[in-house]
Amino acid sequence: MVDTDVHHQVRDKSELYPYLSRHDRQRLEEFGLPRNGNLYQSSGGFKGARADCFGAGEDVDPRTRIDLFKEKLLDGCGIDCAILQGEYTPGVVALMDVDYSAALCRAYNDWTLEHWIGRDPRFRLALTLPLQNPELAVKEIHRLGDHPAVVAAYAVCGSPRLYGQRCYDPIYAACVEHGLALALHFSNEGNGVNPPPTAAGHPSYYAETYLVRPQFYQAHLSSFIFEGTFEKFPTLKVAFLESGFGWVPSFRWRADASWKALRAQTPWVKRLPSEYIAEHIRFSTQPFEDPEPPEAMLHLLEGMNADKTLMFASDFPHWDFDPPDAISRKLPAAMRQRVLSDNAFDTYPKLK
Amino acid sequence: MSAATLTPYPVCPVGELPLGKRKIVTLKGRSIGVFNIGGRYFALQNRCPHRGAPVCEGRLGGFFTASEPYAPALEREGEILRCPWHGWEFDVTTGRSVCQPEKVRVKSYPAGVEPPPETARVEKYDVTESEGQVVVWIVTENVEKLKS
Repeated sequence: MVDTDVHHQVRDKSELYPYLSRHDRQRLEEFGLPRNGNLYQSSGGFKGARADCFGAGEDVDPRTRIDLFKEKLLDGCGIDCAILQGEYTPGVVALMDVDYSAALCRAYNDWTLEHWIGRDPRFRLALTLPLQNPELAVKEIHRLGDHPAVVAAYAVCGSPRLYGQRCYDPIYAACVEHGLALALHFSNEGNGVNPPPTAAGHPSYYAETYLVRPQFYQAHLSSFIFEGTFEKFPTLKVAFLESGFGWVPSFRWRADASWKALRAQTPWVKRLPSEYIAEHIRFSTQPFEDPEPPEAMLHLLEGMNADKTLMFASDFPHWDFDPPDAISRKLPAAMRQRVLSDNAFDTYPKLK
Repeated sequence: MSAATLTPYPVCPVGELPLGKRKIVTLKGRSIGVFNIGGRYFALQNRCPHRGAPVCEGRLGGFFTASEPYAPALEREGEILRCPWHGWEFDVTTGRSVCQPEKVRVKSYPAGVEPPPETARVEKYDVTESEGQVVVWIVTENVEKLKS
């Protein structure tokens, strides 16, 4: 069983010192880890995590406890592969000081490889990258892309530009070269130079941004399709993590309608958008939706070819964690093996 | 036993449908667009399979393609009909949708030129194509065969 989205963190900034130059280390010592803007001053659960994971005390962030990951996730849920998307990443990749950002990304990746990947063979890593500077991001992919546990390049949705735009192409070329998927996950919307979480403005409350996330995934997905990203990179796979998926069937229909009407303006788009989505985009189960009536789920799954496009994710140890057994029960029996395992292996070429 | 035959319906003299032009006529109760594309004639039902628009009133243009992203090129100028309502593109020479040629098409009819009516022929010694009639062939039941 593969868990495509879990989140780890350093307990203290000093854990990164061994991986930094003297110059960058001093800066980290004197000022501290960059944080994302905490636009909402809140999340769900307790400190954004499962409240039942604070057994070591309320000051010990469960994201920092590899023992807890082993107990409650890997052993407790029977996970064979868990892909780490760093909790630390969003703040770091929002920095306009791109060299410092790249140094912190390198340190975080090196620290993760030594202290997480090196301590349990079930962990895999989505590389934290300074995507705001594609040239430096490519360097980092070349530096670590061939590590056997590195299976993806991690991108957060908050970005000055939509990810299909051509300035990002060198990143995708490097991903393809090293057999990495691109893992897209919300965060950083509205922070720093990034546009707000909705085109209509900043929501007041976390519940709102939690709810409207599909729209910025849709913006990136539209960009991938109509910029011709998958014509340029026909083997690239993109994991849409924590995007929700109930919107996918209707998006596919609408995307096809847009193309049929406006094809001549982007003639490099050669196929129905729904075909690119089916071939290149994979969606994570978490947060799993509970439609009413429940049998409506079957229509959603059918409308997105879920037997090929849906991958299990728990989001451990976040507060809106989904356990694999509960999700498995909601899937048609014939689809369970695909969603809980096979689709991830088809998405991440290096996953073994 | 059913049988059918193609019956030619006159549209206009050839001279009234020059290169690149179209004429929308009602034949046997159907609105049909007749197009002169490079000297060949094509007839399409004036009804888009998408939402029923008068597709033959759309703009004629070429087929935009691209060998790679951001490098658009124009091919087959004047052979692609773009529906006036939602922009669906159709190949005038086949009626097939550009986006989904195997699945979506505007009904097409054979079209061509036939000699002018007998009355014109008796008045002129030579019959040239420019004096011919553009015709559209429409399937009609062969009543005689059905009776027998």
